[in-house]
Amino acid sequence: MNAEAPTQHSFLSGTPLRILVGLILVVNGMFPALWILFTSLKTEAELTAKPITWLPHAPTIANYLRAFTDQPLLLFLFNSFMVAILSTALTLFISVLAAYALARLQLRARDLILSAIIAVSTFPLVTLLVPLFEIMRALNLLNTWVALILPYTVLSLPVCTLILVSFFEGIPRDLENSAMIDGCTRIGALFKVVVPLSAPGVFTAGILAFVNAWDEFLLALSFNSNPMLRTLPVGITLYQGEFAFPWPVISAALVVGIVPVAVLIVIFQERVVSGLTSGGIKG
Amino acid sequence: MATASETSVVPTHNESATKWWTRFLDPSERTLAVLLLAPAALLLALIIVYPVCRLVWTSFQNLSLTSGVPAEFAGLENYRLMLDDPVFWETTWNTVLITLITVPGALFVGLAMALMANLPFKTKWPVRLSLLIPWALPLSFAGLIFAWFFHSEYGVVNDVLRRLGFEGVIWFNSANWAFAAICLTIIWKTSSFMALIILAGLQTIPRSLYEAAEVDGAGRMRQFFEITLPLLKPAIVVALIFRTITALQTFDIPFTMTRGGPGTSTATLAMYIHQNTVDFLDLGYGSALAVVMFALSMCVTAVYLRMIRAKG
Amino acid sequence: MSLPKTLTWLLAGAALSLTASAAMAQQTNLRVFVSSQHRPDVWRKAFDMYEAKNPNVKVTIETGGNTSEAQAQYLNTVMTAKDTSLDVMILDVIRPAQYAAAGWTVPFNDVLGNNAEAAMKQYLPAYAEANTVDGKVVALPAFADAMFLYYRKDLLEKHGVKPPTTWDELTAAAKKVMDAEKDPNLQGLSFQGKAIEGAVCTFLLPYWSMGKNLVSNGKLSFDKDAAVKSFKLWKDFVDQGVAKKNIAEVATDDTRKEFQAGNVLFAVNWSYAWGQFQGGESAVKDKVGVVKLPAVAGGQPASCLGGWEWGVSAYSNNKTEAQKFVQYLSSPETSEFMAINAALLPAFADKYTDPDVTKAVPWFAEAKPVVETAKARPVTPRYNEVSEIIRTSVNAVLAGTTTPEQAADQMEGRLRRVLR
Repeated sequence: MNAEAPTQHSFLSGTPLRILVGLILVVNGMFPALWILFTSLKTEAELTAKPITWLPHAPTIANYLRAFTDQPLLLFLFNSFMVAILSTALTLFISVLAAYALARLQLRARDLILSAIIAVSTFPLVTLLVPLFEIMRALNLLNTWVALILPYTVLSLPVCTLILVSFFEGIPRDLENSAMIDGCTRIGALFKVVVPLSAPGVFTAGILAFVNAWDEFLLALSFNSNPMLRTLPVGITLYQGEFAFPWPVISAALVVGIVPVAVLIVIFQERVVSGLTSGGIKG
Repeated sequence: MATASETSVVPTHNESATKWWTRFLDPSERTLAVLLLAPAALLLALIIVYPVCRLVWTSFQNLSLTSGVPAEFAGLENYRLMLDDPVFWETTWNTVLITLITVPGALFVGLAMALMANLPFKTKWPVRLSLLIPWALPLSFAGLIFAWFFHSEYGVVNDVLRRLGFEGVIWFNSANWAFAAICLTIIWKTSSFMALIILAGLQTIPRSLYEAAEVDGAGRMRQFFEITLPLLKPAIVVALIFRTITALQTFDIPFTMTRGGPGTSTATLAMYIHQNTVDFLDLGYGSALAVVMFALSMCVTAVYLRMIRAKG
Repeated sequence: MSLPKTLTWLLAGAALSLTASAAMAQQTNLRVFVSSQHRPDVWRKAFDMYEAKNPNVKVTIETGGNTSEAQAQYLNTVMTAKDTSLDVMILDVIRPAQYAAAGWTVPFNDVLGNNAEAAMKQYLPAYAEANTVDGKVVALPAFADAMFLYYRKDLLEKHGVKPPTTWDELTAAAKKVMDAEKDPNLQGLSFQGKAIEGAVCTFLLPYWSMGKNLVSNGKLSFDKDAAVKSFKLWKDFVDQGVAKKNIAEVATDDTRKEFQAGNVLFAVNWSYAWGQFQGGESAVKDKVGVVKLPAVAGGQPASCLGGWEWGVSAYSNNKTEAQKFVQYLSSPETSEFMAINAALLPAFADKYTDPDVTKAVPWFAEAKPVVETAKARPVTPRYNEVSEIIRTSVNAVLAGTTTPEQAADQMEGRLRRVLR
């Protein structure tokens, strides 16, 4: 919303302190990812050196070459991306509608419906695996993207719906009303006023749904045995042997898996969400 | 948004406009509600209802594929077995402990991270990115990476300790250290989930509220406790609900870091469920354990939902 | 692939399969599950040879995950759902008994004729044991594996030490070399202490060497004294400084990496390590020797049997054809082909010294005596529970959180509950 966050929030002022705070955040968040990046540039022998090395002694891109040539890494990326983006879109669409009903309409069974939605995420996936497999087989969906898109949507639906409910509840009803007076239908007002005003919430829900789908392993392993449809988390395990765990190559594959998502989300945040937010205020 | 919320609705059409949302459950509203909830309901019915019913039904059955005995209805036998199963109690206790440590841990760290990330940095992307990365790192690999960080010889943690002049710790040789390592990893991994949701909440707090508080002479601490925290409550509760549910389901991180070791001292309920269903093929018992986990999660959720309602 | 496109493909696929099934009434399609790390490309060639001889059979490969765990995870889902899509599947040697008990595989006794026992005699004896449950042959060997004692030839020669034949000799040899080398990074012995499947073998190696068995005729035959001695043996290595203090966090590939980096004198590991030790990145290339695992004083040397087996799915629509195909896959000829082209260890003793094989993989000649001492881990449908009990006990003893005596006590109690 206010991309220029209010200074009132900060207990801290003054640039050096702020830089220190930023550094703490960046180090905390980035360190493991940086470690993986450094590892991907090392040889396996360097990993057993004592004392351990932080920066690679003789950086090599051999691991990246192997990551791309040993397995169809780009194909994994493509599958993961399509499955994640499609299930995110579906999740957001369905949960925006459901959240609006739960936040705005007078429902006697509101708490019951909320509990039911939350209940979905309380079962460990592994115990639902076999019946889910049977459903996908019955629908003839095994070895398709849809076999993953549908369950991923269900997995993210609860958290996204609840986030959106909490955001929609914070939007003043007058704004919606005035839009409707201007000739909007109720659904129109939802998408023209409520959703843009909740942009940070929608964006967060979207990230959560995207990353949930991007990281999922168990269903992807069980439903799509066709090598052409493998997603990244399953694909990365193929660099392992039965016993062998070549960290440098696996790190390279992980870097290739993380970087596009991170860059995409940041660009999306900076460009699209800020745009949406200001648009919403004007509208 | 701050300016918009102050605009009042044009009075001429006010009557008809307020009518629909003040009237209790007007029929068209009910239809609308059904329509809006239908896609979610259909999808949940298609994907999840059958598996969950099957799970509950299986939990009342004696269904162990390796026993060579055909499945038969066993009533509450599986649930009764749990009572004398020391591994069930141990793993449940470990799970509860992990939940009690990592949920507040992730909340505090996540809240701090969100507040920090909301500071007006000139270049925002490094901070945003560092909020995202822990969340985007696949869970099982996060476990492996941290197992490596805590490795007694090749780990970064001991390397730093040694450089600072301390003895290195063999983290995974002791139940307590191993437990600490696991909890730290979980907090690291999940605090960004909390932070993302809280940050989104922070961004919707109208600036005008702070300006008004400033005028009233409220200090920053008071502003935080009287404006920020109350307005963040809905976002925090949502984050807490799902963080708690996932904490009760903790699997990947202890599984990849310690395999539940030393011995079974860091094994969780979810690991035990996984073991019973996948390794031992005791589907009846595994399902019963899953139902217990569900009951546990729903109890906690009920408490949180009450918190939301308390808001009014 | 977009959503509508997927649907179109599905419809097209359904239509195709309808017409195809009418046209190829006599054609048998066999779908084979192979691990993607066990050279599916070379198996494909073996399958092609079978197709050439049997024009009515068409074989397609399905590659599964790379670890035994990932494969079990996938197969368990597919088999619990009684899926008919797979006809033949490759199984880790510890699984055939479980799969048979679950009714997921069909026995081979019918196709092996009246004398199944004789048919199994052609394999290394441990494989007959691992694949037979209550007189039923539930799977046939695909290829072999075993645990070896790898040692640094150069260091032993330098200090005039012979490769050890008992664990006591190993301790003495390790101490001698370590004292002389004075390299703080050099470990005497590396083995698996993490709570993984390999830790089960860790426990069983000395236990077997004392002539004891864990399971006899499906019943528990636990010898507590031997168990305590086995735990003590490993714990002593740690306490005497021969093995590292953090051995409880060492998994199979950690042993391999440290040996490969030149930091280990003796290592207990599977056959895959050999290829890696001789690879380009290795610091110990051409400095590695391999011998039988040591025995306890007065005992017999014992190794842990690994390897993979072929099973035929009980839900297959082509069981008879699938069984015939597996017999081909498990034949000496295929075994030789896979040894030469994929360096997979044969399940037949005489193939190790076959001139064609030793020409392609010379070290197999050294592997033979080791593989011959290999014993099968307990063959029981509830093996996974047995494994869990053993591995957590080993891990706890090595981490020092329980004593060998306590661990053996608890282990006995827990094993009794599983194997009555």
